[in-house]
Amino acid sequence: MSIFSSKSEKIFIYLFFAIGLFIPLFLEGNTFYINKFSTIIILSIFVMSLDYLVGRTGLITLGHAMFYGLGGYIFTILAPEYEAVNFWVYTFYVMLISGFIALIVGLIVLRTSGIYMIMITLALAQMTFYFFADSVEYGGLDGLFVYIKPETSIFGLSFLDLDNETHFYYLCLLSLFNCFVFFKVIMNSSFGRVIDALKENPDRAIALGYNIFHFRLIAYVLSSSLAAYAGYLFALQFGFVNPSMMSWDISATALVMALLGGLGSVFGAIIGSFMYEGLHYYIEHLTEYWMFFMGVLIIALVLTLKHGIAGFLNALGGKRS
Amino acid sequence: MNQTILEAENLCKFWGGLKALNELNIQFKDKQLHSIVGPNGAGKSTLLNTLCGAYPATSGVILYHGKPITHLKGYEFCREGIGRSFQKTNIFHNATCLENCCIAAQQRIGGSFNLFRKRSKNRQITEIARKALQQVGLTARADTRATEVSYGEQRQLEIAMVLATSPKVLLLDEPMAGMGHEESQTIISLLKELKQQYCIVLVEHDMDAVFELSDLMTVMVDGQHLITDTVDNIRNNPLVQDAYLGNDDEVF
Repeated sequence: MSIFSSKSEKIFIYLFFAIGLFIPLFLEGNTFYINKFSTIIILSIFVMSLDYLVGRTGLITLGHAMFYGLGGYIFTILAPEYEAVNFWVYTFYVMLISGFIALIVGLIVLRTSGIYMIMITLALAQMTFYFFADSVEYGGLDGLFVYIKPETSIFGLSFLDLDNETHFYYLCLLSLFNCFVFFKVIMNSSFGRVIDALKENPDRAIALGYNIFHFRLIAYVLSSSLAAYAGYLFALQFGFVNPSMMSWDISATALVMALLGGLGSVFGAIIGSFMYEGLHYYIEHLTEYWMFFMGVLIIALVLTLKHGIAGFLNALGGKRS
Repeated sequence: MNQTILEAENLCKFWGGLKALNELNIQFKDKQLHSIVGPNGAGKSTLLNTLCGAYPATSGVILYHGKPITHLKGYEFCREGIGRSFQKTNIFHNATCLENCCIAAQQRIGGSFNLFRKRSKNRQITEIARKALQQVGLTARADTRATEVSYGEQRQLEIAMVLATSPKVLLLDEPMAGMGHEESQTIISLLKELKQQYCIVLVEHDMDAVFELSDLMTVMVDGQHLITDTVDNIRNNPLVQDAYLGNDDEVF
Protein backbone atom coordinates (compact mmCIF):
# COMPACT_ATOMS: atom_id res chain seq x y z
CA MET A 1 0.00 0.00 0.00
CA SER A 2 1.32 3.34 -0.91
CA ILE A 3 1.23 6.42 1.22
CA PHE A 4 -0.16 8.57 -1.56
CA SER A 5 -3.76 9.63 -1.54
CA SER A 6 -3.95 10.43 -5.25
CA LYS A 7 -2.23 9.69 -8.51
CA SER A 8 -1.35 13.34 -9.00
CA GLU A 9 0.32 13.47 -5.63
CA LYS A 10 2.40 10.41 -6.45
CA ILE A 11 3.50 11.81 -9.80
CA PHE A 12 4.26 15.19 -8.33
CA ILE A 13 6.32 13.82 -5.46
CA TYR A 14 8.34 11.49 -7.72
CA LEU A 15 8.97 14.26 -10.20
CA PHE A 16 9.80 16.83 -7.57
CA PHE A 17 12.35 14.72 -5.77
CA ALA A 18 13.83 13.35 -8.98
CA ILE A 19 14.38 16.87 -10.28
CA GLY A 20 15.42 17.99 -6.82
CA LEU A 21 18.13 15.34 -6.69
CA PHE A 22 19.70 16.29 -10.00
CA ILE A 23 19.22 20.01 -10.14
CA PRO A 24 22.54 20.90 -8.46
CA LEU A 25 24.32 19.06 -11.27
CA PHE A 26 22.80 21.40 -13.83
CA LEU A 27 23.37 24.52 -11.80
CA GLU A 28 27.10 23.69 -11.80
CA GLY A 29 27.85 25.36 -8.56
CA ASN A 30 25.76 28.45 -9.18
CA THR A 31 25.47 29.06 -5.47
CA PHE A 32 22.87 31.80 -5.79
CA TYR A 33 20.28 29.42 -7.20
CA ILE A 34 21.27 26.53 -4.98
CA ASN A 35 20.84 28.75 -1.95
CA LYS A 36 17.56 30.02 -3.30
CA PHE A 37 16.27 26.47 -3.65
CA SER A 38 17.47 25.57 -0.16
CA THR A 39 15.59 28.54 1.25
CA ILE A 40 12.38 27.60 -0.51
CA ILE A 41 12.71 23.98 0.59
CA ILE A 42 13.13 25.12 4.20
CA LEU A 43 10.09 27.30 3.74
CA SER A 44 8.22 24.29 2.35
CA ILE A 45 8.88 22.37 5.56
CA PHE A 46 7.52 25.26 7.56
CA VAL A 47 4.47 25.64 5.31
CA MET A 48 3.88 21.88 5.39
CA SER A 49 3.78 21.87 9.17
CA LEU A 50 1.31 24.75 9.09
CA ASP A 51 -0.70 23.05 6.36
CA TYR A 52 -1.07 19.96 8.51
CA LEU A 53 -2.26 22.00 11.45
CA VAL A 54 -4.68 24.20 9.54
CA GLY A 55 -5.75 21.90 6.75
CA ARG A 56 -5.78 18.51 8.44
CA THR A 57 -6.46 19.29 12.07
CA GLY A 58 -8.62 22.33 11.49
CA LEU A 59 -6.73 24.53 13.93
CA ILE A 60 -6.18 27.94 12.42
CA THR A 61 -3.19 29.75 13.83
CA LEU A 62 -1.56 33.06 13.02
CA GLY A 63 1.33 32.44 15.35
CA HIS A 64 3.11 29.56 13.73
CA ALA A 65 6.16 31.68 12.88
CA MET A 66 6.78 31.88 16.61
CA PHE A 67 8.04 28.30 16.48
CA TYR A 68 9.93 28.96 13.27
CA GLY A 69 11.80 31.71 15.05
CA LEU A 70 12.15 29.77 18.26
CA GLY A 71 13.79 26.91 16.38
CA GLY A 72 16.53 29.24 15.24
CA TYR A 73 16.88 30.92 18.61
CA ILE A 74 16.95 27.68 20.57
CA PHE A 75 19.90 26.46 18.53
CA THR A 76 21.78 29.74 18.61
CA ILE A 77 21.30 30.19 22.34
CA LEU A 78 22.13 26.59 23.24
CA ALA A 79 25.14 26.00 21.03
CA PRO A 80 28.52 27.21 22.25
CA GLU A 81 29.65 30.21 20.23
CA TYR A 82 33.01 29.04 18.90
CA GLU A 83 32.71 25.31 18.76
CA ALA A 84 31.18 23.06 16.10
CA VAL A 85 28.40 21.03 17.63
CA ASN A 86 26.78 17.92 16.22
CA PHE A 87 23.94 18.70 13.87
CA TRP A 88 21.85 15.61 14.70
CA VAL A 89 22.18 16.05 18.45
CA TYR A 90 21.04 19.64 18.16
CA THR A 91 18.21 18.68 15.85
CA PHE A 92 17.02 16.52 18.69
CA TYR A 93 17.44 19.30 21.25
CA VAL A 94 15.72 21.91 19.11
CA MET A 95 12.74 19.70 18.41
CA LEU A 96 12.46 18.49 21.98
CA ILE A 97 12.58 21.95 23.52
CA SER A 98 10.29 23.53 20.95
CA GLY A 99 7.94 20.57 21.38
CA PHE A 100 7.89 21.22 25.10
CA ILE A 101 7.17 24.91 24.53
CA ALA A 102 4.42 23.93 22.08
CA LEU A 103 2.95 21.68 24.74
CA ILE A 104 2.67 24.57 27.21
CA VAL A 105 1.40 26.97 24.54
CA GLY A 106 -1.00 24.33 23.24
CA LEU A 107 -2.48 23.81 26.70
CA ILE A 108 -3.45 27.47 26.61
CA VAL A 109 -4.42 28.18 23.01
CA LEU A 110 -6.26 24.92 22.33
CA ARG A 111 -8.86 25.83 24.92
CA THR A 112 -10.16 28.20 22.28
CA SER A 113 -11.04 27.65 18.66
CA GLY A 114 -11.84 29.53 15.47
CA ILE A 115 -11.35 33.27 15.55
CA TYR A 116 -10.35 33.24 19.22
CA MET A 117 -7.58 30.81 18.54
CA ILE A 118 -6.33 33.00 15.69
CA MET A 119 -6.23 35.96 18.06
CA ILE A 120 -4.56 34.22 20.96
CA THR A 121 -1.89 32.57 18.80
CA LEU A 122 -1.22 35.94 17.19
CA ALA A 123 -0.98 37.59 20.59
CA LEU A 124 1.44 34.99 21.93
CA ALA A 125 3.59 35.18 18.81
CA GLN A 126 3.78 38.95 19.04
CA MET A 127 4.69 38.71 22.72
CA THR A 128 7.52 36.37 21.85
CA PHE A 129 8.55 38.67 19.02
CA TYR A 130 8.83 41.67 21.35
CA PHE A 131 10.52 39.62 24.01
CA PHE A 132 13.38 38.89 21.62
CA ALA A 133 13.24 42.31 19.98
CA ASP A 134 13.68 44.05 23.33
CA SER A 135 16.13 41.65 24.92
CA VAL A 136 19.68 42.89 25.17
CA GLU A 137 21.03 39.44 25.89
CA TYR A 138 19.61 37.94 22.70
CA GLY A 139 20.69 40.75 20.45
CA GLY A 140 17.47 42.74 20.20
CA LEU A 141 16.28 43.44 16.67
CA ASP A 142 19.67 42.47 15.24
CA GLY A 143 19.36 38.99 16.66
CA LEU A 144 22.19 36.54 17.10
CA PHE A 145 24.84 35.14 14.82
CA VAL A 146 25.80 31.58 14.15
CA TYR A 147 29.59 31.76 13.90
CA ILE A 148 30.38 28.13 13.40
CA LYS A 149 28.15 25.70 11.61
CA PRO A 150 27.57 22.29 13.15
CA GLU A 151 29.31 19.19 11.87
CA THR A 152 27.15 16.30 10.77
CA SER A 153 29.02 13.17 11.71
CA ILE A 154 27.22 10.02 12.75
CA PHE A 155 29.50 7.63 14.69
CA GLY A 156 32.49 9.52 13.39
CA LEU A 157 31.42 9.36 9.75
CA SER A 158 30.66 12.66 8.12
CA PHE A 159 28.91 12.93 4.77
CA LEU A 160 27.79 16.50 4.73
CA ASP A 161 29.67 19.72 5.07
CA LEU A 162 27.16 22.40 5.97
CA ASP A 163 29.40 25.18 4.71
CA ASN A 164 29.10 23.69 1.26
CA GLU A 165 25.94 25.04 -0.41
CA THR A 166 25.27 21.89 -2.37
CA HIS A 167 25.64 19.69 0.69
CA PHE A 168 23.34 21.94 2.63
CA TYR A 169 20.85 21.82 -0.24
CA TYR A 170 20.78 18.02 -0.06
CA LEU A 171 20.27 18.14 3.67
CA CYS A 172 17.24 20.40 3.15
CA LEU A 173 15.88 18.13 0.43
CA LEU A 174 16.27 15.09 2.66
CA SER A 175 14.56 16.94 5.50
CA LEU A 176 11.64 17.87 3.29
CA PHE A 177 11.34 14.28 2.14
CA ASN A 178 11.35 12.97 5.70
CA CYS A 179 8.87 15.59 6.71
CA PHE A 180 6.53 14.65 3.87
CA VAL A 181 6.76 10.94 4.64
CA PHE A 182 6.23 11.62 8.34
CA PHE A 183 3.06 13.61 7.73
CA LYS A 184 1.73 11.07 5.26
CA VAL A 185 2.35 8.25 7.71
CA ILE A 186 0.61 9.95 10.60
CA MET A 187 -2.25 10.93 8.31
CA ASN A 188 -2.80 7.30 7.37
CA SER A 189 -2.44 6.03 10.93
CA SER A 190 -5.04 5.31 13.56
CA PHE A 191 -4.19 8.70 15.03
CA GLY A 192 -4.86 10.28 11.64
CA ARG A 193 -8.28 8.67 11.58
CA VAL A 194 -9.25 10.53 14.73
CA ILE A 195 -7.72 13.76 13.42
CA ASP A 196 -9.78 13.46 10.23
CA ALA A 197 -12.88 12.85 12.29
CA LEU A 198 -12.41 15.73 14.69
CA LYS A 199 -11.65 18.12 11.90
CA GLU A 200 -14.83 17.31 10.04
CA ASN A 201 -17.17 16.99 12.99
CA PRO A 202 -15.69 17.61 16.43
CA ASP A 203 -19.01 17.23 18.25
CA ARG A 204 -19.55 13.81 16.82
CA ALA A 205 -16.00 12.80 17.70
CA ILE A 206 -16.72 13.77 21.31
CA ALA A 207 -19.99 11.84 21.24
CA LEU A 208 -18.01 8.80 20.08
CA GLY A 209 -15.89 9.05 23.21
CA TYR A 210 -12.79 10.87 22.02
CA ASN A 211 -11.13 13.48 24.14
CA ILE A 212 -10.39 15.73 21.19
CA PHE A 213 -8.23 18.07 23.25
CA HIS A 214 -5.52 15.40 23.57
CA PHE A 215 -5.47 14.74 19.85
CA ARG A 216 -5.32 18.41 18.98
CA LEU A 217 -2.52 18.90 21.46
CA ILE A 218 -0.43 16.12 19.94
CA ALA A 219 -0.99 17.47 16.43
CA TYR A 220 -0.07 20.94 17.64
CA VAL A 221 3.15 19.75 19.28
CA LEU A 222 4.23 17.72 16.23
CA SER A 223 3.51 20.51 13.82
CA SER A 224 5.20 23.14 15.97
CA SER A 225 8.38 21.19 16.47
CA LEU A 226 8.68 20.63 12.73
CA ALA A 227 8.20 24.35 12.22
CA ALA A 228 11.02 24.85 14.72
CA TYR A 229 13.16 22.41 12.75
CA ALA A 230 12.61 24.53 9.65
CA GLY A 231 13.64 27.61 11.63
CA TYR A 232 16.76 25.79 12.77
CA LEU A 233 17.69 25.06 9.15
CA PHE A 234 17.04 28.70 8.28
CA ALA A 235 19.40 29.83 11.03
CA LEU A 236 22.06 27.46 9.71
CA GLN A 237 21.69 28.63 6.15
CA PHE A 238 21.86 32.36 6.81
CA GLY A 239 24.06 32.22 9.86
CA PHE A 240 21.86 34.44 11.98
CA VAL A 241 18.51 34.64 13.69
CA ASN A 242 16.49 37.74 14.40
CA PRO A 243 13.00 38.50 15.65
CA SER A 244 11.63 39.19 12.17
CA MET A 245 11.61 35.41 11.67
CA MET A 246 8.68 35.22 14.05
CA SER A 247 6.82 38.31 13.02
CA TRP A 248 3.20 37.76 12.19
CA ASP A 249 3.56 38.39 8.47
CA ILE A 250 5.71 35.27 8.17
CA SER A 251 2.80 33.29 9.63
CA ALA A 252 0.39 35.01 7.28
CA THR A 253 2.57 34.50 4.22
CA ALA A 254 2.96 30.82 5.08
CA LEU A 255 -0.81 30.58 5.38
CA VAL A 256 -1.17 32.11 1.92
CA MET A 257 1.32 29.58 0.54
CA ALA A 258 -0.57 26.71 2.14
CA LEU A 259 -3.82 28.07 0.75
CA LEU A 260 -2.33 28.52 -2.69
CA GLY A 261 -1.00 24.96 -2.70
CA GLY A 262 -4.24 23.49 -1.41
CA LEU A 263 -5.01 23.34 2.29
CA GLY A 264 -4.65 19.96 3.91
CA SER A 265 -3.00 18.28 0.94
CA VAL A 266 0.54 18.36 2.46
CA PHE A 267 2.21 18.03 -0.95
CA GLY A 268 0.40 21.26 -1.81
CA ALA A 269 2.62 22.98 0.72
CA ILE A 270 5.61 22.31 -1.51
CA ILE A 271 3.76 23.60 -4.57
CA GLY A 272 2.49 26.63 -2.68
CA SER A 273 5.93 27.62 -1.41
CA PHE A 274 7.64 27.21 -4.76
CA MET A 275 4.81 28.95 -6.58
CA TYR A 276 4.75 31.90 -4.20
CA GLU A 277 8.48 32.33 -4.05
CA GLY A 278 8.82 31.77 -7.78
CA LEU A 279 6.21 34.41 -8.58
CA HIS A 280 7.75 36.73 -6.04
CA TYR A 281 11.18 36.35 -7.59
CA TYR A 282 9.87 36.72 -11.13
CA ILE A 283 7.56 39.69 -10.60
CA GLU A 284 10.07 41.45 -8.38
CA HIS A 285 12.40 41.62 -11.34
CA LEU A 286 9.73 43.03 -13.62
CA THR A 287 8.40 45.85 -11.53
CA GLU A 288 8.95 47.48 -8.20
CA TYR A 289 5.21 47.28 -7.54
CA TRP A 290 5.51 43.52 -7.28
CA MET A 291 3.31 43.35 -4.19
CA PHE A 292 0.37 44.75 -6.10
CA PHE A 293 0.61 42.28 -8.98
CA MET A 294 1.38 39.43 -6.65
CA GLY A 295 -1.71 40.27 -4.60
CA VAL A 296 -3.97 40.38 -7.61
CA LEU A 297 -2.55 37.13 -8.91
CA ILE A 298 -3.00 35.32 -5.61
CA ILE A 299 -6.55 36.54 -5.20
CA ALA A 300 -7.32 35.34 -8.72
CA LEU A 301 -5.73 31.94 -8.07
CA VAL A 302 -7.46 31.41 -4.76
CA LEU A 303 -10.81 32.41 -6.24
CA THR A 304 -10.53 30.16 -9.28
CA LEU A 305 -8.96 27.15 -7.58
CA LYS A 306 -11.10 26.30 -4.62
CA HIS A 307 -8.84 23.56 -3.33
CA GLY A 308 -5.61 25.17 -4.40
CA ILE A 309 -3.21 23.90 -7.00
CA ALA A 310 -3.08 20.47 -5.37
CA GLY A 311 -6.85 20.23 -5.67
CA PHE A 312 -6.58 21.21 -9.32
CA LEU A 313 -3.95 18.52 -9.95
CA ASN A 314 -6.06 15.94 -8.14
CA ALA A 315 -9.05 16.83 -10.30
CA LEU A 316 -6.87 16.50 -13.41
CA GLY A 317 -5.48 13.12 -12.48
CA GLY A 318 -8.56 11.50 -10.98
CA LYS A 319 -8.99 11.35 -7.25
CA ARG A 320 -7.79 7.92 -6.12
CA SER A 321 -4.68 6.07 -7.10
CA MET B 1 -37.90 -8.40 35.57
CA ASN B 2 -35.04 -6.90 33.63
CA GLN B 3 -32.29 -5.14 35.44
CA THR B 4 -32.21 -1.36 35.59
CA ILE B 5 -29.20 -0.03 33.71
CA LEU B 6 -29.65 3.69 33.45
CA GLU B 7 -31.44 5.83 35.94
CA ALA B 8 -32.07 9.51 36.53
CA GLU B 9 -32.84 10.83 39.96
CA ASN B 10 -34.27 14.32 40.39
CA LEU B 11 -32.55 15.30 37.18
CA CYS B 12 -32.76 19.02 36.40
CA LYS B 13 -31.51 20.99 33.44
CA PHE B 14 -32.19 24.71 33.47
CA TRP B 15 -31.43 27.09 30.65
CA GLY B 16 -31.44 30.31 32.60
CA GLY B 17 -35.02 30.56 33.83
CA LEU B 18 -36.29 27.84 31.53
CA LYS B 19 -36.71 24.52 33.24
CA ALA B 20 -36.08 22.11 30.39
CA LEU B 21 -35.90 19.19 32.80
CA ASN B 22 -37.52 19.57 36.16
CA GLU B 23 -36.97 16.99 38.89
CA LEU B 24 -37.13 14.09 36.53
CA ASN B 25 -37.06 10.53 37.83
CA ILE B 26 -36.86 7.79 35.29
CA GLN B 27 -35.44 4.29 34.95
CA PHE B 28 -34.37 2.37 31.89
CA LYS B 29 -34.14 -1.38 31.94
CA ASP B 30 -31.98 -3.78 29.99
CA LYS B 31 -33.33 -5.34 26.79
CA GLN B 32 -36.29 -3.03 26.70
CA LEU B 33 -37.26 -0.29 24.35
CA HIS B 34 -38.39 2.65 26.37
CA SER B 35 -39.78 5.54 24.37
CA ILE B 36 -40.18 9.06 25.49
CA VAL B 37 -42.94 11.07 23.95
CA GLY B 38 -44.42 14.43 24.57
CA PRO B 39 -45.35 17.61 22.78
CA ASN B 40 -42.67 19.82 21.24
CA GLY B 41 -40.59 21.52 23.88
CA ALA B 42 -41.35 18.89 26.47
CA GLY B 43 -37.65 18.34 27.05
CA LYS B 44 -37.20 14.99 25.32
CA SER B 45 -34.08 15.91 23.41
CA THR B 46 -32.70 17.72 26.45
CA LEU B 47 -33.19 14.55 28.43
CA LEU B 48 -31.23 12.51 25.87
CA ASN B 49 -28.51 15.11 25.69
CA THR B 50 -28.20 15.16 29.46
CA LEU B 51 -28.21 11.38 29.72
CA CYS B 52 -25.36 11.08 27.22
CA GLY B 53 -23.32 13.80 28.87
CA ALA B 54 -23.55 16.37 26.09
CA TYR B 55 -25.25 18.80 28.48
CA PRO B 56 -24.09 18.82 32.08
CA ALA B 57 -27.02 18.42 34.46
CA THR B 58 -27.95 21.41 36.59
CA SER B 59 -28.69 19.13 39.51
CA GLY B 60 -29.69 15.57 40.18
CA VAL B 61 -27.91 12.30 39.58
CA ILE B 62 -27.53 9.95 36.64
CA LEU B 63 -26.89 6.38 37.73
CA TYR B 64 -25.40 3.80 35.39
CA HIS B 65 -25.46 0.27 36.76
CA GLY B 66 -26.19 1.90 40.11
CA LYS B 67 -23.04 4.03 39.95
CA PRO B 68 -23.32 7.82 39.69
CA ILE B 69 -21.82 9.12 36.44
CA THR B 70 -23.13 12.66 36.51
CA HIS B 71 -19.66 14.12 37.09
CA LEU B 72 -18.11 12.45 34.04
CA LYS B 73 -17.03 14.51 31.04
CA GLY B 74 -19.06 14.38 27.84
CA TYR B 75 -16.71 12.06 26.00
CA GLU B 76 -16.51 9.63 28.92
CA PHE B 77 -20.18 8.68 28.76
CA CYS B 78 -19.63 6.92 25.47
CA ARG B 79 -16.71 5.00 26.93
CA GLU B 80 -18.97 3.76 29.71
CA GLY B 81 -21.28 2.31 27.11
CA ILE B 82 -23.88 4.98 26.56
CA GLY B 83 -24.14 5.54 22.84
CA ARG B 84 -26.36 8.06 21.19
CA SER B 85 -27.62 8.96 17.77
CA PHE B 86 -28.58 12.43 16.70
CA GLN B 87 -31.78 14.02 15.57
CA LYS B 88 -30.00 15.84 12.79
CA THR B 89 -27.82 13.46 10.81
CA ASN B 90 -24.41 13.75 12.37
CA ILE B 91 -21.95 11.66 10.44
CA PHE B 92 -18.56 12.17 8.83
CA HIS B 93 -19.71 13.03 5.33
CA ASN B 94 -16.34 12.84 3.60
CA ALA B 95 -15.53 9.37 4.85
CA THR B 96 -16.93 6.08 3.57
CA CYS B 97 -19.67 4.35 5.53
CA LEU B 98 -17.18 1.76 6.72
CA GLU B 99 -14.71 4.43 7.79
CA ASN B 100 -17.47 6.17 9.74
CA CYS B 101 -18.01 2.99 11.73
CA CYS B 102 -14.27 2.44 12.07
CA ILE B 103 -13.92 5.83 13.75
CA ALA B 104 -16.60 4.74 16.18
CA ALA B 105 -15.10 1.31 16.79
CA GLN B 106 -11.54 2.54 17.20
CA GLN B 107 -12.47 4.40 20.36
CA ARG B 108 -13.38 1.09 21.97
CA ILE B 109 -10.48 -0.93 20.65
CA GLY B 110 -7.83 1.70 21.27
CA GLY B 111 -4.62 2.52 19.48
CA SER B 112 -5.86 6.00 18.68
CA PHE B 113 -2.58 7.49 19.82
CA ASN B 114 -0.58 5.27 17.52
CA LEU B 115 1.00 7.66 15.06
CA PHE B 116 2.67 5.13 12.83
CA ARG B 117 0.49 2.08 12.49
CA LYS B 118 -1.55 2.21 9.33
CA ARG B 119 -5.20 2.53 10.23
CA SER B 120 -6.32 -0.17 7.83
CA LYS B 121 -3.95 -2.67 9.48
CA ASN B 122 -6.17 -2.98 12.52
CA ARG B 123 -8.42 -5.87 11.48
CA GLN B 124 -10.31 -5.95 14.74
CA ILE B 125 -11.66 -2.45 14.18
CA THR B 126 -12.64 -3.14 10.60
CA GLU B 127 -14.43 -6.29 11.68
CA ILE B 128 -16.48 -4.52 14.33
CA ALA B 129 -17.31 -1.79 11.85
CA ARG B 130 -18.40 -4.30 9.21
CA LYS B 131 -20.54 -6.09 11.73
CA ALA B 132 -22.25 -2.84 12.71
CA LEU B 133 -22.95 -2.07 9.06
CA GLN B 134 -24.30 -5.55 8.59
CA GLN B 135 -26.62 -5.16 11.58
CA VAL B 136 -28.28 -2.14 10.03
CA GLY B 137 -28.18 -3.62 6.53
CA LEU B 138 -25.66 -1.30 4.96
CA THR B 139 -23.02 -3.84 3.95
CA ALA B 140 -23.48 -2.99 0.29
CA ARG B 141 -22.68 0.64 1.03
CA ALA B 142 -19.47 0.01 2.98
CA ASP B 143 -17.19 1.69 0.47
CA THR B 144 -19.51 4.48 -0.59
CA ARG B 145 -18.87 7.93 0.77
CA ALA B 146 -21.40 8.85 3.42
CA THR B 147 -22.46 11.96 1.59
CA GLU B 148 -23.41 9.92 -1.47
CA VAL B 149 -25.86 7.51 0.17
CA SER B 150 -29.57 8.29 0.54
CA TYR B 151 -30.97 10.14 3.50
CA GLY B 152 -32.56 7.00 4.89
CA GLU B 153 -29.24 5.18 4.64
CA GLN B 154 -27.51 8.01 6.44
CA ARG B 155 -29.96 7.55 9.29
CA GLN B 156 -29.11 3.84 9.31
CA LEU B 157 -25.44 4.68 9.30
CA GLU B 158 -26.02 6.95 12.25
CA ILE B 159 -27.30 3.92 14.19
CA ALA B 160 -24.49 1.70 12.89
CA MET B 161 -21.96 4.16 14.27
CA VAL B 162 -23.56 3.96 17.70
CA LEU B 163 -23.51 0.16 17.51
CA ALA B 164 -19.84 0.18 16.57
CA THR B 165 -18.98 1.83 19.88
CA SER B 166 -20.13 -1.42 21.55
CA PRO B 167 -22.69 0.28 23.78
CA LYS B 168 -24.97 -1.12 26.47
CA VAL B 169 -27.49 1.67 26.18
CA LEU B 170 -28.68 3.24 22.95
CA LEU B 171 -30.10 6.73 23.14
CA LEU B 172 -31.84 7.30 19.83
CA ASP B 173 -33.04 10.78 19.01
CA GLU B 174 -35.73 10.57 16.33
CA PRO B 175 -34.10 7.92 14.18
CA MET B 176 -37.05 8.06 11.81
CA ALA B 177 -37.19 11.81 11.39
CA GLY B 178 -37.85 12.83 7.81
CA MET B 179 -38.12 9.26 6.54
CA GLY B 180 -40.60 7.79 4.12
CA HIS B 181 -42.87 4.94 5.10
CA GLU B 182 -40.70 2.17 3.68
CA GLU B 183 -37.53 3.53 5.20
CA SER B 184 -39.27 3.79 8.56
CA GLN B 185 -40.23 0.14 8.28
CA THR B 186 -36.57 -0.78 7.86
CA ILE B 187 -35.69 1.09 11.03
CA ILE B 188 -38.64 -0.41 12.92
CA SER B 189 -37.62 -3.96 12.14
CA LEU B 190 -34.02 -3.05 12.99
CA LEU B 191 -35.02 -1.66 16.36
CA LYS B 192 -37.11 -4.74 17.06
CA GLU B 193 -33.98 -6.82 16.69
CA LEU B 194 -31.80 -4.45 18.62
CA LYS B 195 -34.04 -4.23 21.63
CA GLN B 196 -33.38 -7.88 22.35
CA GLN B 197 -29.74 -7.04 23.02
CA TYR B 198 -29.65 -3.47 24.23
CA CYS B 199 -31.41 -1.05 26.49
CA ILE B 200 -32.89 1.44 24.06
CA VAL B 201 -34.21 4.88 24.86
CA LEU B 202 -36.18 6.19 21.92
CA VAL B 203 -37.40 9.69 21.30
CA GLU B 204 -39.66 9.66 18.28
CA HIS B 205 -42.55 11.59 16.82
CA ASP B 206 -43.84 8.78 14.64
CA MET B 207 -46.54 7.49 16.98
CA ASP B 208 -47.32 4.35 15.00
CA ALA B 209 -43.70 3.32 15.33
CA VAL B 210 -43.62 4.19 19.00
CA PHE B 211 -46.73 2.16 19.77
CA GLU B 212 -45.44 -0.75 17.75
CA LEU B 213 -42.01 -0.86 19.31
CA SER B 214 -42.22 0.25 22.89
CA ASP B 215 -42.16 -1.95 25.93
CA LEU B 216 -42.57 1.06 28.13
CA MET B 217 -43.52 4.61 27.37
CA THR B 218 -42.91 7.79 29.26
CA VAL B 219 -44.87 10.91 28.58
CA MET B 220 -43.18 14.21 29.32
CA VAL B 221 -44.77 17.61 29.49
CA ASP B 222 -42.94 20.87 30.18
CA GLY B 223 -39.80 19.17 31.38
CA GLN B 224 -41.68 17.05 33.82
CA HIS B 225 -42.40 13.40 33.98
CA LEU B 226 -46.10 12.83 33.47
CA ILE B 227 -46.46 9.10 33.39
CA THR B 228 -44.58 5.90 32.62
CA ASP B 229 -46.57 2.88 31.64
CA THR B 230 -47.10 0.20 29.03
CA VAL B 231 -48.31 1.14 25.58
CA ASP B 232 -51.91 0.07 26.10
CA ASN B 233 -52.33 1.90 29.35
CA ILE B 234 -50.83 5.07 27.91
CA ARG B 235 -53.13 4.97 24.93
CA ASN B 236 -56.18 5.06 27.14
CA ASN B 237 -54.89 7.46 29.72
CA PRO B 238 -56.97 10.66 29.91
CA LEU B 239 -53.99 12.66 31.21
CA VAL B 240 -52.00 11.81 28.12
CA GLN B 241 -54.83 12.61 25.79
CA ASP B 242 -55.08 15.91 27.54
CA ALA B 243 -51.40 16.69 27.16
CA TYR B 244 -51.31 15.73 23.53
CA LEU B 245 -54.65 16.81 22.23
CA GLY B 246 -55.16 19.74 24.56
CA ASN B 247 -58.28 20.77 26.41
CA ASP B 248 -61.41 21.46 24.49
CA ASP B 249 -61.08 25.16 24.99
CA GLU B 250 -57.72 25.34 23.22
CA VAL B 251 -57.92 26.39 19.60
CA PHE B 252 -55.80 24.65 16.97
